[in-house]
Amino acid sequence: MFDTISEKKFLLKELVKKNLTSKYKDSVLGILWSFFNPLLTMLVFTAIFSMLFGHNIQNYPVYYLAGRLAFDFYNHGTKGAMNSIRKNAGLLKKIYVPKRMFAVSSICYEFVNFLISFAILFGVMIITGAPFHVTLIFTIIPIVFLVVLVFGVGLILAVCNTYFTDIGYLYNVFTLVLLYASAMFYPIEIVPAQVQILFTLNPVYCAMSCFRQCVYGTIPDISMLLYLGTFALTTLGIGLLLFHIYDKRLVLEL
Amino acid sequence: MSIIGKIKKLLNRSSSDSYNNQIEDNVAVRVEHVSMEFKISKDKIDTLKEYVIRTIKRNKKEKEKIRILNDISFDVQKGDKLGILGFNGAGKSTLLKILAGIYEPTHGKITINGKVAPLLELSAGFDKNYTGKNNIYLNGAFLSMDKDFLDEKFDEIVEFSELGDFINYPVKNYSSGMRAKLGFSIATLIEPDILIVDEILSVGDIKFRKKSSEKINELMSEGVTVLLVSHSINQIRKICNKCIWIENGQIVMEGPSDEVCDAYVTNAEGDTKKKRRRK
Repeated sequence: MFDTISEKKFLLKELVKKNLTSKYKDSVLGILWSFFNPLLTMLVFTAIFSMLFGHNIQNYPVYYLAGRLAFDFYNHGTKGAMNSIRKNAGLLKKIYVPKRMFAVSSICYEFVNFLISFAILFGVMIITGAPFHVTLIFTIIPIVFLVVLVFGVGLILAVCNTYFTDIGYLYNVFTLVLLYASAMFYPIEIVPAQVQILFTLNPVYCAMSCFRQCVYGTIPDISMLLYLGTFALTTLGIGLLLFHIYDKRLVLEL
Repeated sequence: MSIIGKIKKLLNRSSSDSYNNQIEDNVAVRVEHVSMEFKISKDKIDTLKEYVIRTIKRNKKEKEKIRILNDISFDVQKGDKLGILGFNGAGKSTLLKILAGIYEPTHGKITINGKVAPLLELSAGFDKNYTGKNNIYLNGAFLSMDKDFLDEKFDEIVEFSELGDFINYPVKNYSSGMRAKLGFSIATLIEPDILIVDEILSVGDIKFRKKSSEKINELMSEGVTVLLVSHSINQIRKICNKCIWIENGQIVMEGPSDEVCDAYVTNAEGDTKKKRRRK
């Protein structure tokens, strides 16, 4: 069972498709909500915060969106992976499917969403007249690291959440803290200098700010990228190890 | 130090994969000293708070371990049709689930030589909001088929399932019989070396029942190894040439199917007579 790559790839594709269709199944606009959701919240945040931080941040809508896209991918990707095993408990107890496929597929699905919402970012950049810099190409680096990070954290959480359900609730609060600790909708300058150092320890903040630097036309901070890269690879290592150890016993906990 | 040791132990445990292929060519399935334990505790700790508090207070109740299977070993030769007998709760279905790869045995090893098709739960993989057509692909993916294969067999499935135009409607609007028919048509598509069957699945209406049992017979005939759990002794006598009888997780008897079936039936009748006498 599931020995060849084409079988695995097909399963992954079907699972991603299933996520995509089931999320918006009863809505009229369907997949379009992947566009509208960030767009509408961007309008709200721009209306409120551009008055507060407008003079600090050049082109607030782009600033907000760049941060929001990265954070949303992290947030939804890790949460999707975390819940994936429990959500499919009924299936996993009845037929043999490699468990990691569920975690991986929900992250892939969020990544597709992330790519879709890129269109919004570009759209808003065009409308607000923001320049397109060459450095935009470099966004690939923080994005790759972010993907690695999401996979690592997602796999760890998937195992933990299967053993203890309240990891899920705890993590919901944690991501809220993470949201404020990532300077998603405010400029990092309003935070006292000593606290800023703490922010740079937050890998999501690192990913987000490198991403933003690329969008705004500066070369991303190398030390930040290195930190993010090592952090992401370490978590991925831990995640894979945990999954390897507990893979076959997860079913017994469901 | 102890943590590292623990990790090493865990790694070794999972890397000693229970599926490797070092057996003789004529053996299809080898089960060696397989035991299966389920941890069951009356008050299940599944919140972290409880876990931490109880660990500190040291009043974590030792989880009760229930042994469903106890040191089971047997070989199935290629082409053999093995019937598995036993009363309810004897551990038959657990054994099949282990063979299908859903559970990993607590102890022991299972070696499988060939492609396995478990016909256990036929419509487990359905998405209710999907149309029948999409569900064929989704379910096929769950059963480890790839797209080319499904494309090729698509018409065959639709025809066999007798769904006609309904294939384009969401599965949530199907009757349970229609759902079972579709599930059956997809699951029996594979050409397996080893077929694992929990109760002969004859589903649907009288027409389809005939067709489905014919299909099962066809699957079983072509030199395929079969592991069959059934409560119908007649079926086992008819299909199987060998039998094992499991009781309380242990093999009570093993041998040609007629002998085992006779012993099993006598035992069952004896049991009911005893109970009557007690009354």
